[in-house]
Amino acid sequence: MKKTIMTRFGEVEFDPNDTVRFVEGLVGFENLRDFIVMPNKKNGPLFWIQSVEDPEIAFVLTDPTNFFLDYKVIPNDRERSKLGIEKDDECHALAVVTVPADRKVTLNLMAPILFAPATNRAIQVVLENSQYKTRHPLPA
Amino acid sequence: MLVLTRKPGEGIVIGDDIKITFIETKGAGIRIGIEAPADKKIYRQEIYDRICLENREASQWNLADLDMLTSAMVKKESL
Repeated sequence: MKKTIMTRFGEVEFDPNDTVRFVEGLVGFENLRDFIVMPNKKNGPLFWIQSVEDPEIAFVLTDPTNFFLDYKVIPNDRERSKLGIEKDDECHALAVVTVPADRKVTLNLMAPILFAPATNRAIQVVLENSQYKTRHPLPA
Repeated sequence: MLVLTRKPGEGIVIGDDIKITFIETKGAGIRIGIEAPADKKIYRQEIYDRICLENREASQWNLADLDMLTSAMVKKESL
């Protein structure tokens, strides 16, 4: 059964069975759990996710390995249990994209989103002891 | 805010599953030990605040930005 919600980008139709569940929300948005993955009409590395619960909230995401080839995040036991997956199950690290007023895009490599396709669950993790920052400019 | 005075080695128990121990003072810093269930997330405040702020800013984009950026990236790839 399809549902529709009104977002700040217009009306969005979605299948509630296809939403991604952020089991802990995102940092600062802990109460927003279900997001719709929006296909990008143009081919390109960016796509966006729209909150089902709050029509105002949407994030642009990308696979950071498009820009940072060796970027890799392996979930620990706590994270795998939140995602509902086992040690060898597929898990992708995605980065939240920030588009500041000057349009110089940055990726938040310090707090990636781990997504498990098998369970459609995601969590945002914080890599505290890494060289990654919250605002990595795209390589030129 | 509840304010308590503790000596090194003394602790605080929060609820029935979080234990905080004040280990020692070290220069201007205080070393703290935390015992909590593995599923509890623990962040340094300034890092949590930074991620929070970044997420808030990241939610403030518009469709025109995305279109423009995507076009720029697709163009770059096809060169």
